[in-house]
Amino acid sequence: MAEFSTSTKEVGEISIIYLKGYLDAHTAPTLENTFSNLIEKGKYRTVVNFNELNYISSAGLGVFMAYIEKIRENNGDIKLSSMSEKVFNIFDLLGFPLLYEIYQTEEEAVNKFIESKSFEK
Amino acid sequence: MNDKENIRVKRNLTALVEFSRLINSSLDLNFILNNILLTCMGKFFVTKGFIALKIDNHLKITSSKGIPNDDIINFPIIKISNDYLENKEFKEYLSKNRISSIFKIDAAQGCMGILGIGERLNKQPLNDDDHEFLLTILNISASAVHNSIMIDELKNVNRDLDKRIQRLNSLFELSKEFGMFSESAKVARLLIYSVIGQFLVSKFAVIILENSEIKIVESKFDEFELSQSIKKFNFNTITNPIPKAEIDEKYPLLFNLGIELIVPMQLQNETKGLICLGKRISNQEFSKTDIEFIYSIGSLAIISIENQRLFKEALEKQKLEEELEIARGIQKNLLPHSIPKFDRFEISAINLSSRQVGGDYYDIITLDENNYCIAIGDVSGKGVPAALLMANIQAFLRIICKQGMNISDATGVINNLITSNTSDGKFITFFWGMLNEKNLNFEYVNAGHNPPLLIRNKKIHKLERGGIILGVMKTNLPYDSESVILEKDDVIVLFTDGVTEAKNINDDEFSDERFEALCLKYSKLSSSEMIEKINIEIRKFSDGTFQSDDITILILKVI
Repeated sequence: MAEFSTSTKEVGEISIIYLKGYLDAHTAPTLENTFSNLIEKGKYRTVVNFNELNYISSAGLGVFMAYIEKIRENNGDIKLSSMSEKVFNIFDLLGFPLLYEIYQTEEEAVNKFIESKSFEK
Repeated sequence: MNDKENIRVKRNLTALVEFSRLINSSLDLNFILNNILLTCMGKFFVTKGFIALKIDNHLKITSSKGIPNDDIINFPIIKISNDYLENKEFKEYLSKNRISSIFKIDAAQGCMGILGIGERLNKQPLNDDDHEFLLTILNISASAVHNSIMIDELKNVNRDLDKRIQRLNSLFELSKEFGMFSESAKVARLLIYSVIGQFLVSKFAVIILENSEIKIVESKFDEFELSQSIKKFNFNTITNPIPKAEIDEKYPLLFNLGIELIVPMQLQNETKGLICLGKRISNQEFSKTDIEFIYSIGSLAIISIENQRLFKEALEKQKLEEELEIARGIQKNLLPHSIPKFDRFEISAINLSSRQVGGDYYDIITLDENNYCIAIGDVSGKGVPAALLMANIQAFLRIICKQGMNISDATGVINNLITSNTSDGKFITFFWGMLNEKNLNFEYVNAGHNPPLLIRNKKIHKLERGGIILGVMKTNLPYDSESVILEKDDVIVLFTDGVTEAKNINDDEFSDERFEALCLKYSKLSSSEMIEKINIEIRKFSDGTFQSDDITILILKVI
């Protein structure tokens, strides 16, 4: 069975989720839990780091769709970073770049949050 | 040719070579078109120009300079034909944008489009040399443009292929996963995640029809309103996917909730569920292949959900079977294993338990060398609960009949005990009697049981005296009893309603009349022969029809 795990790190008010392994129909519930835990704690600013993710299926992509509305309603966002070309191609194929900000590095994504935050002030 | 002319030709040639090198070095269509335009404009001092390529047989501006945006979009719809330059609309368009010359871009495969350029700054018309130069440039360009268009198309085809492969992968992966999950809720969730990930949908619902009950498994729509709306139309009539326009027209309630696509989940042409989707965030409509894909996943999911349901049902059935086996075991152990031998009586009994196991009970208890207790009862309900209550009454009976109480009071006590031991409306119809072998006295109480038949001289007397059934309420009216002095050849037939209510194929009952007639007919036989004859008649009557209740008969004959 394909292995998948997530870990999270807090950078100020921003949560960073690290994905590792294979995100498919079988492992999608793990990521669901991670998102719903963050939302429960009122953490709506999230960067997802795909650096160690080897594969994502459409069920895996569905998890992002399932939470994005709720997060954006609360003035948050999910920004994506550090995808391998293979993973990016799947996102690209289904049109995700229209809806999600995708960055080369985690730092860029985090900085975007910080910039928009200082802009609000 | 003079020197000046020579230099001019040379310069033109150099420009052409440079131009050819440049546009053939790239496959980017925009870059190529842009360069063609800029080269022409620079060479002839022109401030406006456009290139319109043939796309789906019509011309469309793909690159332009100095043309207002509105005019780029509103390019007249024209086909390239022999007289397209005479098209009135086109002519007006050209003069409005002050485009004075049009050139066709011809490649080996045919005309690819046109180049239009405006007036020259120096107001000079194009001379023959200019024309030739322009045609040369367009000839060189044509193949480069053609190549880059082909590459673009190839890229599109590739992307399309990638999308298909991706969908096939999803289908394959889901079919694997659907085989592994155990709960329908989980399967539905997996299904919906795949769909929303694939089509960028954020509002969705999965509705499943289970035993004609509508279950909303997953929903991001208002669940209450959704279930109210769904109930208003017939689920089974949705046999094909319903696109947006049809939902708007036929199911305005659902459309107002934001549902733009309904796809049925079907199993053997029967609609077992619905997938409802809201709009795609990309604002694209669902294409035919999109809908087919969703339909395929839906069918996969419903097979899995249905299998889980059947599995669960089978498991419950098996559990029930086991429970019935236990009940059957309890019941068999409660009935007497053998019937005592008497000098003056001949007693035989039969108990046929039905498949569902009812609560029939009979007993013969020896009190002392002359006194015996005979009892028959029918506990309401079936299975283990009935068997347990039967065990209860057997225990009470065996203790109480040895306390030397009179039978009326004893029945009252048993009723009180049973009443306080049952809570869920269970009751027992019960008949019992004390038999003295010396003086042939038989004293009985009937607590709501089918009256046993006392047959004497070919006549039936029903033993009806007693009171209410056991277990319904505490005893407040004492039970009545009756004593009968038995005579030689008297027959008493005790039975349960499983006998008289035995059914045949036409659902007719065996009936009291038929039973009484049989008892009379065979009353000359010994008790065991009587039971055998009656049993044969009942079998003949029911002819293998499934019996829902136990059948019990006990016959006492005085010899």
